Amino acid sequence: MNIFELFREHPGFYFVAATLVPLVSFLLILLASAMWCATRPFRYTPAGAALFNFFGGEQRGRGAAYVATAAIAIAFLLSLTGFIRFTTEQSTFETRIAGLEKDVRDLQAQEAKATDAKEKEELHENGERVEKQLTDVEGRWEHLRNTSWQSHFDWLRIHPAHANDSERGTILQLGFKIDSLSGLMFVMVTFIATLIHLFSMGYMADELQPEVEDHQVHTAHGHLHRRGRFGRFFMYLSLFCFSMLNLLLADNLFQVFVSWELVGVCSYLLVGFYFERTSAANAANKAFIVNRIGDAGFILGLLIVWTSLGTFNFDEIFKQVRAPLTDTHGPVRLAGRFVRGNLEAENASGNQSLKIADNGSQLLLFPRAKPGHYHAIGNSRGEVDVSAAPKSDEHSSMPYWMLVAAGLGIFLGCVGKSAQFPLHVWLPDAMEGPTPVSALIHAATMVAAGVYLVGRCFPMFPAETLLVIAYTGGITLFVAASIAVVMTDIKKVLAYSTVSQLGYMMLALGVGGWVAGLFHLMTHAFFKALLFLGSGSVIYGCHHEQEMTKMGGLFPKMKITALTMLAGVLAIAGIPLFTGWYSKDAILAQALGYVWVHNNHMLLFLLPLITAGITAFYMARMWFMTFTGKPRDEHVYEHAHESPWLMTVPLILLAVCSVCVAWGWPIYDAEKSWLGHNVHHAQHHAVLADFGHVEAEEEYWAAAKAEAQNERLYAHHNHHLAGNLALGLVLIGIVFAGLIYWKRVLDPAEAKEQFPRLHAFLMDKWRFDRLYSVAVVRPALVVGHWFAAFDLRVIDGIIHFVARLMMWVSKWDGIFDNAIIDGLVNLVGNVTYRIGARLRDVQTGFLRSYVLFMVLAAVGIFILLAYFVRMAMAG
Amino acid sequence: MDAFNSVIFYILAAMTGICALAVVLTQNIVRAAAWLLFTLAGVSGLFFLLRADFVGATQLLVYVGGTLILVVFGVMLTAQGPFIKMRIGVAEWAIALAVGLVLYGVLAVSLLASKPRTAPDDRVASAEMPDSTVLGESLLGQKDASPAGNVTGVPPMPNTKGELKTIRRNRAGMSYLLPFEIVSVHLLVVLIGAAYLARAKRRRLAAAPGREQQLGASV
Amino acid sequence: MSAAVGLNHFLLLGALLFVCGAICMATKRNAIGILMGVELVLNAATINFVAFAYFNPVFQVEGQVFALFVIVLAAAEAAIALAIVLNFYNNHMTVDVDTAEELKG
Repeated sequence: MNIFELFREHPGFYFVAATLVPLVSFLLILLASAMWCATRPFRYTPAGAALFNFFGGEQRGRGAAYVATAAIAIAFLLSLTGFIRFTTEQSTFETRIAGLEKDVRDLQAQEAKATDAKEKEELHENGERVEKQLTDVEGRWEHLRNTSWQSHFDWLRIHPAHANDSERGTILQLGFKIDSLSGLMFVMVTFIATLIHLFSMGYMADELQPEVEDHQVHTAHGHLHRRGRFGRFFMYLSLFCFSMLNLLLADNLFQVFVSWELVGVCSYLLVGFYFERTSAANAANKAFIVNRIGDAGFILGLLIVWTSLGTFNFDEIFKQVRAPLTDTHGPVRLAGRFVRGNLEAENASGNQSLKIADNGSQLLLFPRAKPGHYHAIGNSRGEVDVSAAPKSDEHSSMPYWMLVAAGLGIFLGCVGKSAQFPLHVWLPDAMEGPTPVSALIHAATMVAAGVYLVGRCFPMFPAETLLVIAYTGGITLFVAASIAVVMTDIKKVLAYSTVSQLGYMMLALGVGGWVAGLFHLMTHAFFKALLFLGSGSVIYGCHHEQEMTKMGGLFPKMKITALTMLAGVLAIAGIPLFTGWYSKDAILAQALGYVWVHNNHMLLFLLPLITAGITAFYMARMWFMTFTGKPRDEHVYEHAHESPWLMTVPLILLAVCSVCVAWGWPIYDAEKSWLGHNVHHAQHHAVLADFGHVEAEEEYWAAAKAEAQNERLYAHHNHHLAGNLALGLVLIGIVFAGLIYWKRVLDPAEAKEQFPRLHAFLMDKWRFDRLYSVAVVRPALVVGHWFAAFDLRVIDGIIHFVARLMMWVSKWDGIFDNAIIDGLVNLVGNVTYRIGARLRDVQTGFLRSYVLFMVLAAVGIFILLAYFVRMAMAG
Repeated sequence: MDAFNSVIFYILAAMTGICALAVVLTQNIVRAAAWLLFTLAGVSGLFFLLRADFVGATQLLVYVGGTLILVVFGVMLTAQGPFIKMRIGVAEWAIALAVGLVLYGVLAVSLLASKPRTAPDDRVASAEMPDSTVLGESLLGQKDASPAGNVTGVPPMPNTKGELKTIRRNRAGMSYLLPFEIVSVHLLVVLIGAAYLARAKRRRLAAAPGREQQLGASV
Repeated sequence: MSAAVGLNHFLLLGALLFVCGAICMATKRNAIGILMGVELVLNAATINFVAFAYFNPVFQVEGQVFALFVIVLAAAEAAIALAIVLNFYNNHMTVDVDTAEELKG
């Protein structure tokens, strides 16, 4: 089978290939670097020089940039092809399914209206035929999705069998699962990454020099001089792209975790790219360590999932924890929901029965492989037999709190990666890395991975976990936005805005706005990448000046940057028809719908609403401070210049995307857009079951059903209310910012003087760093010092004592050895030598004396013989 | 042994012992060779006395006629002057004599301590010692002529002729052909070896012509 | 003195010859003299063999045969010894065995 047939038969491999291409690029660059290092010592010989120049010579790295950029561009094309194919297939099938469903409904209506019995029967037959066709088509689509768009192989098999599932054993799998969410993420990530690769080729051009002077590192001999690291930068980027795409590709939590750590490592490497700077090295460490805290939670979540469910595969997890939509007898009462109950007495076969109750302590787990005849929710009394040692085709149960804990654990991992409160402190510091890295990793892709994972795992998150997620997001978005207001470093402003926007996404997911949250993830990626690259362009143009207090009036000098950034600012602020508007309105509407039903969670709407205004204010502030008014620093202004085309072209492309990517028809309806449509398609039915409109027919769930419907209803009805409120606040924010920083009617210094403590509090980033320093870092250091002291005093003391003891013992042992052992050996030697020396005299060399000795020996032998003979005779 | 034979024995024993002592005591090698001649002759006389005619004859032929001539030739070949004397110290003489006396004492004591064995009584003694014919046949492997089989082990002394015959019959089948042949080959080897050693000087000279010239010059 | 001459008389004579041979070997500096000592020792052995043959009829043939072997071997040994002596003489220009002390320890 050649590669084209493979792609045709298994189009999911488009995405696998897209994932592997950056890995190949990484390995190529690594190999080339190794060869460069190997040939460098021979660069003055003719053959060595040829090789050395082939692998980059003194100006190495340019080739690496081309390879990496080409790789990611190929990955983009592959993803795009794959995704177009996927959407085409999807829409074809869905059109057919929709048509058939309409036919069925029409026929049923006609049948109901018809009076003639014969006609009725005919219509009935027709209806059954069409229904059969419908199930057939649906089955085909299901099959296609399960075979060509998703696959896996066993990576590690570890026996013995898993404790909770005797049939399966421990198997870790690698696989891929493409739905419209991951496909969309692929296209988005590869597209942005391609643009950022291009941008980096311009931005990092300094690193091409054989010797780079780092103005921020002071050594005893002035500034630090080092070799350029252009190639290394692109090598890291390639590794990152591979890891990120692998994360999106994964069909199981374990693979996600592996990629999760890989992107963490890349982040560490790239934040610490200028590792000679103390601040960069510290920031890299901080990012890594803070993420470790989150990952500890992630691992706990994974362990709970593994021990309780025996699988990491997303689909299998969801199948087990959520009730199926249908069983043998048709639609299920609690379709798509968590089913809880209490365990009751054991029956004869050792199984227990689970009595269904809506706040029971146990969660009913559904079989992975459905038996031939299957009751999803047990008998009419609401009792299900669960096996103590579950098999894949039987019901079992797990404690409900374990599921909550697993969800919280996985969410803790997402908190770390997506820089949510209280682990958000690393992201602003991570701005020490090069700006394209900030744009790619710390704004558009990696930090969004947390949101992506929450979205992926949504079906296994119970309501309690979701509430925690919502509140975390709500607190994060407000805290971060409030800090962003007072930041003066352009990248720090963007960093805090990123944290804030990620908070929006988390909030949306927590309140059941699955589509809204992930939609915002997409749109945010574009405009945040744009803003970061824009800031990078400004920083590059101002010769690595990041302080906005030294900028101002740069608009005439860098028009393209200013205009593209303006598009980004308007998008993030939520001006109508810019992408941010669609997604943020959706989030606010969802939040409003939620709090309408759950009145006591009012904050979950108020915080994002107020923050929408704050966001508009600080983003406008940033733009005005940078580009308008009188220049604040003449020196910076004098030397400012527009960036080269290599950097502006990505800006323009991203600006276009930031404006248009969510457009559809009618233009105000995000769900009608291509992007919104596709995100919508990826939504798991569990979301609808918890927050939507799956028809639960029993009165048992009537209240919940009403609640869920109300949420959606209110979200729908209040869309305009929420949107208009937010828009008003946004406009007020922008006007304020304009007045203060463009027209300079109001002086920000006055506000600073009026609220000095508030300003200091915000400048201090809500004292989080200080809090952590007091609560965590310093105690850790103190404990560390204690341990060090313990080590020095006690352990070292013991060791020194033992060492001294051993020395003392060995001294005496040495004396003993020398005197007695050696003495004995020497004695034996000496005695032997002396005897030999004496016996030497016997060897006279005179024949005649030998004869005498022989005679004497004969005499001796005779005497001895006589003696022995006498003894023998006597004896 | 009867009285006549005893007298003969004492005469021969005295002659042999005195001549042997003379060989030891004389300082002149040529005289020593002469005393040795008489010693060997005395020994052969003793052999005749013991009715071992063939051995005695061989002793005379080989020793007196062969070996001793060889020794005399050796003396003549190596003599650097007439009546050359190589004296040794008195102390050495004393030590050697002391050791010799001790050895003789030990031997004599151990002999005399054992039960004296006299000749078998007449009936047995009348059985003749084997003559040269018997010996020759025995050496050539004639089974009938071969009286003895088991070389080791001392059978009880026979008291009658019948007993002796029985013992001989029991030990029949032994012959000395193989030792005889081995001795023959041994003699051949000795012959060749002696010849080789004797002409070694010439080979060395041929191998080192410089030395030949030197020797020639010195001669 | 016992009138009947027995085996012990012969053995004592053999012992005398043996001791004479040994002393001869120990006292003669002339290599040929040492050779003579060896001949004496061998004769002592021969006397013993023949005496044993005479005094124990069982060994009549064996004693004589061994005596013959000893005589023959003595002749061979004398030939070899003389060859060695000649060689020694060629190397040292003397037959004084005291000059041959290369084996001195």
